[in-house]
This record gives sequence, C-alpha cells and structure tokens, in this order.
Amino acid sequence: MNAVLKVDGLTKRFGGLIAVNDVSLSVSAGEVLGLIGPNGSGKTTLLNLIAGAIRPDAGSICLDGEDVTRLPDYVRVRRRINRTFQLVRMPANLPVIAIVKAGVLFGAEPSRYRDAVYEAAGVLGELNLLLKADRRLDQLTYIEQKRVELARALATRPRVLLLDEWLSGLSPSEVDGGMSVVWSLAAQGMAVILVEHIMTAVRALCGRVVAMNAGVKIAEGAPADVLGDSEVIRAYLGDDDA
Amino acid sequence: MPASIIVATLAALTAMLAATPWLVSDYGLGFMINLMCYLALTVAWALFSGTTRYVSLATSAFFGLGAYTVAMLIHAMPIFATFAVAAALGALAALLVGLVTLRISGMFFVIFSFGLSEMIRQLLVWWEINKTHTLGRYVFVPFSNTMIYEHLLGLTVLVFLVGWLVGRSRFGLALLVIGDDEVVARQVGINVPLTKVVMFIISSIFMTLVGAVMAPRFGYLTPNFAFNPLISFQVVIMALLGGMHRLWGPVLGVIPMIVLSELLQVRFPFWYSVLLGLVFMVIVYFLPRGVTGLLESGWARLGQPIMLPRGFTGPLVDAWAWLSRPVSLPRGIAGLIEDAWKRLAR
Repeated sequence: MNAVLKVDGLTKRFGGLIAVNDVSLSVSAGEVLGLIGPNGSGKTTLLNLIAGAIRPDAGSICLDGEDVTRLPDYVRVRRRINRTFQLVRMPANLPVIAIVKAGVLFGAEPSRYRDAVYEAAGVLGELNLLLKADRRLDQLTYIEQKRVELARALATRPRVLLLDEWLSGLSPSEVDGGMSVVWSLAAQGMAVILVEHIMTAVRALCGRVVAMNAGVKIAEGAPADVLGDSEVIRAYLGDDDA
Repeated sequence: MPASIIVATLAALTAMLAATPWLVSDYGLGFMINLMCYLALTVAWALFSGTTRYVSLATSAFFGLGAYTVAMLIHAMPIFATFAVAAALGALAALLVGLVTLRISGMFFVIFSFGLSEMIRQLLVWWEINKTHTLGRYVFVPFSNTMIYEHLLGLTVLVFLVGWLVGRSRFGLALLVIGDDEVVARQVGINVPLTKVVMFIISSIFMTLVGAVMAPRFGYLTPNFAFNPLISFQVVIMALLGGMHRLWGPVLGVIPMIVLSELLQVRFPFWYSVLLGLVFMVIVYFLPRGVTGLLESGWARLGQPIMLPRGFTGPLVDAWAWLSRPVSLPRGIAGLIEDAWKRLAR
C-alpha cells in the first residue's frame, strides 16, 4: 500500500529525557492506525511532532513523498495534516460556526469568504452540530465540544487526521457514536492515527496498532497480536504480571 | 436598520464634523482637534489590541515618531512629503518591533511595548543633545488648525473604514481567532505571525500619521513631549472604558474622557492624573475576569486539598504562567449598551 504519511527515525529530547526515541511508522489512505502505550510513553509528543507543534531533534516526516519536517504547524494544516487535542482546545469567546468558518477559509481548500459560512454549515451538519452553530464553548456538552473540535479539524480538509484520545471521557453509547464517525472518515479515504486507551475502540477500528513505551516503539502489527505481545503487557502491567 | 439609513446617517455626521471649524470658536476647534486626535489613536489602537488582545503601550512611540519626523524634516521638504516619510518610518518601525515582540505574549508584551517607547525617547534625547545640540525643534508651517482638524477627521474616517472592512474579511476572522486562542488559530491554518505583524503595521501607520499631523499644532517639540508615555496610557484607558469588541466602542470612551480632561484642566489642572487613575481603577474593578477572577480562584484554592510545597520553583512557575496568559479585556460602555439592547430585543 502507498503510505500517505511516513515518519522515519523521529527523535525528541526534553533535556535529559528522550520523549520519542527513533520512532518510524507509516499510514495509508483509508487506514486507521492505533497508537497505544502507557501514560508518559510519548504518544502525545509523537502527535505534536507530526502536527508540527514541536520540532524533532532527528528524523523526518514525509507527506505524499514531500518532506514536511521543517514546516510550521499552520503550513502543515494547509498540506492536509490536522489534529485534535487531548484536552479540548477551542476559542471560548467565538461561536462554533466562526471557528469552523476559519478552518474552511484558511485550510487546504480555502473557499471564497462569502461561501465559507455555507461550507462551514456543511461540515457541522456532517457531525450533527448544525443546531449548535451559534453556541459558544461553555454552552456545549463534553461530547459536543469533542465533535466541534473534530469539525474544526475537518473544515481544513485533512488527509491525515491525528486524534489524541478523542473517544476518552465519553459514555459507552457516545463511544459507539464516535467510533462510527472515525470509521466513516477512514472510509472516505482519510489516514487516521488514533491515540486511544479504550481498547474496544482500538480493536474495532484499527487495522494496525503501534505500541510505545518510554519513547520507543515496542510492537507493531494487528491489534490482537500487539495487545497479546508479552512486552506490551509488561509495559502496561509491570514485570511481575507478565 | 437598513444599511442605507446607517450609511446616510454616518455620511451626514461626517459632513457635520467636517463643517465644525466654521461653526465653533477657536477654543472649540482646539477641543475638537484634541478629540479627533485621541479618537483616531484609540480606534487605531483597538484595531490591533482589541482583536488580538496584545495590549500595546507603544502608542506614544509611534505618535512621537510621526511628530518628530515632521519636526526634523519640515525645513527640508514640503509638509505632505514629511507625512509620507513619517508613515513609511512608522511602518518600518512596526515591522521590526512586530517581528521581534509578537512572539512574546501576555504581560511581557505590555512591558516590552512600554520599554520600547521609553527607549526611543531616551535615544532621541541623547542624539539631540550630543549630535545636533538641540533639545527642542520649532515647527512653524502654514498649516492652520482647520487643516489639522480636517486631516485628523480624514484619518479617523479612514481608520473606521479600515476597521469595518477588516471586520468583514477573512483577515478579521483570523485576528479574532488569534485573540481567543493562538494554538487553535495555527491549527486552522492561519499564518499567526504574519497576521499579527500586518495588523500591527496598519495600526501603527495610523498612529504615526496622527502624530505627524499634530506636529504643527504644538509648534515646539521636545522628545519628552512627543514621546509622552501618558498618551499610551490614556489611549488604553479610553479604549477599555468604551469597550473595544465593537468598532464604535472606543468612541464612548474617548468623548467622556476628553470632556472631563478639558473641564479639569481648566479648573484643576493637577487633578487630571488623579482622575485618570480613578477611572483606571473603576475599569479594573469592573474587569470581569480581572480582580474578581483572581479572588474567585483564590477562594476556590482555599477549598482544595492541601498540596505539597513546591519550594522556590513554585512561585516562579506560577508567576511565569500568570505573565504569559492572555490579557482579558473588559467590554466597557459598549458592552453595557449591547447587553441592554439584547434584553430589550428579547
């Protein structure tokens, strides 16, 4: 398969701590890649590196064969990489529609200013948020906030979508709804990297899983194999239980 | 209201203001010049600071730059040429300052912009004393008060027009998102540094031009007078009082402050600074997330479980976080009117 996103030998140090150590991975169009590992294993740092929020100390990030390692985050958004944040991050004083409109106007397929509001409404409609278009962040429920953040990302028309625990903190039925959203995004040809602790979702959605521990990639493969891998179990549960 | 009525009203108002010099006394004209000067400065300030929430105290730097450029060049070239040079210098200075400072956020930017103003002032004093051996410059040109007023009015109309256009453009939306959350702004693909620098330059050019037009009004200029930091503070207070989340907000702050300052300067010339301080305190008191927010979070902290001490690092980390958080701005009189309007419309 042709990889949309190729990450090679990515390394990031924070002082003496190596948060991400020589990690390589790739994702293809229509694929959902699961990224798992215990807290502090470097998953979010890896996403930050791919999204461009921080610069790597070594390694490269290629999008469709083009090296984007040196590009700032807002340029990567226009090259079709977007992400959601582990803790929902949205402007507090702007209505939902304005934020999505900004995504439509400044994303990979910028629309004309007067058409932007209709396109933004379209994106909100796909996520069942049309009735919330004029709300502000504090007037939304948690699941709605998560959906608005996804709408913000989708408005920029990404090909690579990084979801940082996007399903966490939701009720079981909300997780089901969220899973079907992720599944339909992949079905539309998006390459999704899913950082997630909810293993039911990982098993159901991901064709492939990468496990990390202490900044290092320790396993890669089908969900069942990786979740059954002795080193992965040891990383999660400690030495004695393995 | 239909747009045509609003446009007609604004056009009539502008025409009336343009006719003012022939309707009022010399004193009245002086008052109107002062009013227009601060109106243009405050709206220009709010164009950048109101949207991005980078509170700038560099107004006096650009005002002074404009005034002093005219003072230094007036005997070498026609006055409109000096205006053009002033505008170009203002844009250049804003570009340099913008590239350097707009990476700093919160309180750091406020302090830096203030320091910048003071630095230019001191450098100019040093230059004038040691290199040109003067400490003041005369600006005697046939540029009447009526001309000054009409030019200021033109600038004010122009700055409102620019603000209106920006508010209806993708550029304006980008500024709003940046003001609310820079991380999200980057994540929707907005070129954050460029957007901020461009708006800072536009705003600064207006400030520089106001200073340039005002130079003939003063007649005699010293660096300490042209770069008076009081200008920066007054502009911030006027904008905060009026409220700046709406383009017309600053008007409601400038008019009462200028009227009050005129009244006080006639009768109690030394009380103006006291009044300024009082107004500032009142604004801060009503600042929705300012003092009240601090008290509330302090109260909430009292109810929290005891945390282990964090040593000397703790306060440093807290101070750093406090200094780099976005500055929250009160909504002023415009906010009150808007709330009342909403309540009526319901």
